[in-house]
Amino acid sequence: MTAGMTTEQQRRVARLFEAAVDLDPPRAASFIATEAADDAVVRNEVLSLLASHSRAGAFLQQPIGDAAPELFDDDLALAPGASVGPYVIVRELGRGGMGRVYLATDSRLGRTVALKALAPDLLRDRTQRERLRREARAAASLSHPGICTVYALEEVDGELYIATEVVDGHTLRDEMASAKRRSRDVLATALELATALAAAHAAGVVHRDLKPENVMRTRDGRLKILDFGLARIDPARSGPDVFAAAAPPITHAGVVAGTPAYMAPEQIEGGRVDARTDVFAFGVLVYEYASGVHPFGGASPLATAARVLEHDAQPLAVRCPDLPDGLSEVVTRCLQKRAADRFGSAAEIVGALKATGDAMGGAPSTRWWRMHQLVVAVLYLAAAVLAWQIKEWVETPLTVAIFIVLGGVATVGAVLRGHLVFTDRMNRPRLTEERHRTRRGIVLIDFVLAAMLMLDAIATGGVRALPAVFALSLAVGVSLASVVLEPATTRAAFGDEA
Amino acid sequence: MTGDDDPTRRDAERLAPLVYDELRRIAAHFIRGERPGQTLQATALVHEAYLRLATAGTPWHDKRHFVGIAARAMRQILVERARARGARKRWAGLDRVTLTDALAVAAPDAAMLPALDEALTRLEAIDPEQARLVELRYFAGLSIEEAAEALSMSPATLKRRWALARAWLFRELSQSSLE
Repeated sequence: MTAGMTTEQQRRVARLFEAAVDLDPPRAASFIATEAADDAVVRNEVLSLLASHSRAGAFLQQPIGDAAPELFDDDLALAPGASVGPYVIVRELGRGGMGRVYLATDSRLGRTVALKALAPDLLRDRTQRERLRREARAAASLSHPGICTVYALEEVDGELYIATEVVDGHTLRDEMASAKRRSRDVLATALELATALAAAHAAGVVHRDLKPENVMRTRDGRLKILDFGLARIDPARSGPDVFAAAAPPITHAGVVAGTPAYMAPEQIEGGRVDARTDVFAFGVLVYEYASGVHPFGGASPLATAARVLEHDAQPLAVRCPDLPDGLSEVVTRCLQKRAADRFGSAAEIVGALKATGDAMGGAPSTRWWRMHQLVVAVLYLAAAVLAWQIKEWVETPLTVAIFIVLGGVATVGAVLRGHLVFTDRMNRPRLTEERHRTRRGIVLIDFVLAAMLMLDAIATGGVRALPAVFALSLAVGVSLASVVLEPATTRAAFGDEA
Repeated sequence: MTGDDDPTRRDAERLAPLVYDELRRIAAHFIRGERPGQTLQATALVHEAYLRLATAGTPWHDKRHFVGIAARAMRQILVERARARGARKRWAGLDRVTLTDALAVAAPDAAMLPALDEALTRLEAIDPEQARLVELRYFAGLSIEEAAEALSMSPATLKRRWALARAWLFRELSQSSLE
């Protein structure tokens, strides 16, 4: 059985071993000594094998599947400190449909990366590996602040790993778990997301698996889309596969918990996937982000899939009447069953959302609001001048008191309104808060001012009719501006009346 | 019997990737907890792969034929996987003095796989039938009787030949470790 023997000797060794193996050792020894007396090589070989046999114990007796079941585990966790090529594992970050994700250090560059170990069943054959490589290359070519950067695709000991930028923050899913989003935030989030998606679509990269779990908000408030073009590499469609029918796409490996919740109809049906598939997922995501309700939510993944294919979602405008119409319309168009009825790419969504943003609170609308603020401030001054003139004409303690109160109130009111206009121009993010803070004061000022003008009108009425009429009309003007005009310009500019 | 003339070997070349894929897929399903409470057994895996492939219209002449190919595919999958998980390093790091004892209690199974695979390839050059037998028993988890049927020999003969293959491999592995 060893290399130096002839085939004849090897046959003899096997025959003698098999004849002697069931004998007890002393008898086996004498049997071999007799049977192989003429060939020392054969004799020694058989004795050596018999000795191995007696020592072998449980060697190979238990099938490998029972002895090392962990080998069947597709994604065995890597321990901290383990190295994968040039990367050293720091800790596990999480586990997704594609495999486990680790925080790791790239020892060549000293930088920290997120290392994604791809589940082996994503890479069963060469076609799939090649496709994954191609996708990773495409994803790595994307450079946009709204897209998590892919550094490298590494192949270590036959397993594939993707190294990407580490994104520190929380997912949109986490965000949805907390309080309801405001219209303005929904619009801003949708626009930011669509802008990043548009950059990818322009580069010919489709995400394929856009969902709230794949969008992170960094600590400084910016959005980043993860897993571009890499997710949902569907084994069934990457090469000849005779089992596609036996394994429905929903239970396919690579789909997190088999949820088809963000898949477009053509994706569920196994059709062609392109930018419009992402457009659909974007629509589902924004719908859910705005309303907190999934547009096609069903009791099970299968039920959800059926609703995606057959039911129309309740219009977002019905669920969230506060949202600007433009945004609801964008979402509705994204959710069309036929890809051809949706936006052609994310760039078109960006265009539509920008138009909505302009209508909702863009430059032209705040201009009206600003003008209103300035006009009212001028009216305040006019009222103060009038009160002074009335005091000159009819000097009674009442008109003097009215002048003092009115002058003070008008000054404060003009300062407050000026402050709002200034904030709008110079410090926009704080504007909403400032408006809410000053709102009650301004209404009170308008009220007091109108009341003082009325008193002045009464005090002068008997003496000089014209200034009295003027004061009265100014009072009515300020009141109307406060009650009717201001809510309108504010709503046009900010979408709320406060 | 040389490898090229053996129809099982020829088919194995052609069909092994298919079997390999299917085995992997079934194994993955087991692990993902789709069958809670069930431990994965190699035999069950092979059996299920056979059922799936046989009904998928693949031209299997008989189950015996299939089992041989599946066992070989199992060997490839598991050895590859053990290698990927650093088996070689762990194997090299094993205490040389206690290795023989460790082998006898089947302790370092996963770490041993790449070395076993190489020894098995050497055994194959001497006697292909013994190598097939090891694949059936150890990698596909077949019983003495099942393996005997797959190789068309009596269980008694198979048992003795299995003892020979085990003894030979045991010696190879405990010696290789001393080099």
